[in-house]
Amino acid sequence: MSKVVEISPTTRHEGHSKLVLKINDAGIIETGNWCSITPVRGVEKLAVGKTPEQVPKIASRVCGICPIAHTLAATEAMEASIKCEIPKDALMLRHILQMANRLHSIALHDILILPDLYLPGTETKINPFTAEEPVRTVAKRIQRIREIGQTIGQIAGGDCIHPRNTKVGGMYRNVSEQAKTKMHDLAKEGLTLAKPQMDLMIAILRNYQGRESVDVGGMKVNMPKTLGYHNQGYMATHPFYGSSSLEEHPTWDMDRFKEVRPWDWYMGECTVDFEEPKYPIGGTTKVGTVCNPQMEACTGIPLYDGQPVEVGPRARLVKFKHYDEKGTVGQNIAREMEYMDSLYEMLDKIDALNTNGKVLADHIPDGDGSLGWASNEAPRGTDVHIARVKDWKVQYFSMLVPTTWNFATCSAALTGAPWQLAEVIMRGYDPCVSCATHMIVVDEDNKIVAQKLIQ
Amino acid sequence: MLYSEIVIAGCGNPLFADDGFGPAVIEEMQNLQLPDNVTIIDAGLGGPHFIFTLLDPEVTKKLIIVDIADYGAEPGSITKLRVEDLPPGAYRDAHSWDLAEPLQRIKDQIEITIIGVQPARVTAPEFELGLSEELQTAIPKAIRVILEIIGVDYGTIIERLQEDRQRGTAESSGSVKTS
Repeated sequence: MSKVVEISPTTRHEGHSKLVLKINDAGIIETGNWCSITPVRGVEKLAVGKTPEQVPKIASRVCGICPIAHTLAATEAMEASIKCEIPKDALMLRHILQMANRLHSIALHDILILPDLYLPGTETKINPFTAEEPVRTVAKRIQRIREIGQTIGQIAGGDCIHPRNTKVGGMYRNVSEQAKTKMHDLAKEGLTLAKPQMDLMIAILRNYQGRESVDVGGMKVNMPKTLGYHNQGYMATHPFYGSSSLEEHPTWDMDRFKEVRPWDWYMGECTVDFEEPKYPIGGTTKVGTVCNPQMEACTGIPLYDGQPVEVGPRARLVKFKHYDEKGTVGQNIAREMEYMDSLYEMLDKIDALNTNGKVLADHIPDGDGSLGWASNEAPRGTDVHIARVKDWKVQYFSMLVPTTWNFATCSAALTGAPWQLAEVIMRGYDPCVSCATHMIVVDEDNKIVAQKLIQ
Repeated sequence: MLYSEIVIAGCGNPLFADDGFGPAVIEEMQNLQLPDNVTIIDAGLGGPHFIFTLLDPEVTKKLIIVDIADYGAEPGSITKLRVEDLPPGAYRDAHSWDLAEPLQRIKDQIEITIIGVQPARVTAPEFELGLSEELQTAIPKAIRVILEIIGVDYGTIIERLQEDRQRGTAESSGSVKTS
């Protein structure tokens, strides 16, 4: 008979989320619901009436971990709406910023997943904070890669967390020749560190994949060969950067997108009737607790061609590089493979950057009310912003952030896995939950139905 | 090195009204000429994962965090706090790997001061832009406290900033204005 177990809150990611799992007698997940429990907010509402310069700044504040992706996507959505093409060198600087952000994010994700994994050939799980070798050297290397990513981002973007250099119409300023040389040197140093880091992580992940069983809080859990498999399909708009409605051949189609209510997709009210106090950290939710994922989930379910899809590193590799490995390990390996991609792409763009070139468009239109969208391939997936600007005022703004796409897909991927490994599957998506919380939900007839949640 | 000997981080979210105080102080400080060993940074919500977990104690000796703190005082009042004074979870890394707090990890190696200002209005989870008047006024006060800690004598400039603000001629700093 099925039992319900709840892991709340989930750890080692941004924001608040939980897992509600219906499991069979063997502890295998029959139905998994991964949902955001961050309260509904209203960035789209707040943006209306603001100038196109203000909205990217607002968008960058909805999340502590993806401000660069949101700044770029929102800025470019404004540019798409007002039909403003930016100079080539401004685009180069944005590409460099984008790749620097991705480099930092992959390294950070390494720290987050290492505690789930084993030192190959041992029964020791990896504590990235230990002072003992060989982990200490690896941790230092990860920190240096993060530092390189942030420093390059700071040079190209003006600030490494909330970039100040981006502007509707291009960038405020170009960088100096010396700064370009510094970015180049740092990226070269990054290459020498990222290659062994990628090789090591792939070896550790392959070792994990090949294990018969793993230990979770003292419980021996058999490792399924299909950990994290799903058949939901993938969505990516560019191997590195993004796309927009301004392009001649955009790689995302708004007509194929639809968002539906969480209560069509998640389980209804259920009572927790299984608990495990040994589960890290602090055990699972107590028996008798009532949960209702349908009503507690704070996100809509975005569909592309009528289905939830996976976004992120694997989606990019599947779409643009014929990568085909499924499952959680395949997903994490795809992320590791992006280390080198992001550095080589960054070096290409640094080489292509003319530090004497102009970085701001000569003419920045006020906007005629056309709908424009821009996608940004954020570290954790496709971040699409949609905007309508008229007379230099934003009339409509919406954000479709990566983790929103992944919620339903990851929920499908939980089926068939031991419940103790649900968080391992979830972490493969490198989730960022707080900005995934959405406000407007439409039903199948495209009518807005969830505004009551906001009021 | 990304961060220098002294790091000043403004934390908080300008989308939650007075929670934008930290970033607003940093924006104001960007107009000042500071010594080369000082890094000022608008940390937003990213303090734990972008800064506190990336400081090198061999380089960074002093960390000053500017943020709001509810300690029951009049709105706009400023206090200095130590890491020990913070409620648990105040700077828990959002990527909470083992629920340890990054400031606890580094506090013995880096001198940490938290400049806390009493907010008048924090609207989370609802978005609202703009600082309350009390906190606008507290910006130059906070800057003066920071400059005192880092040993920079800025003479009358800070006073002037405050006077300008009171006359209403200075651009309001920090979060994006609503109109």
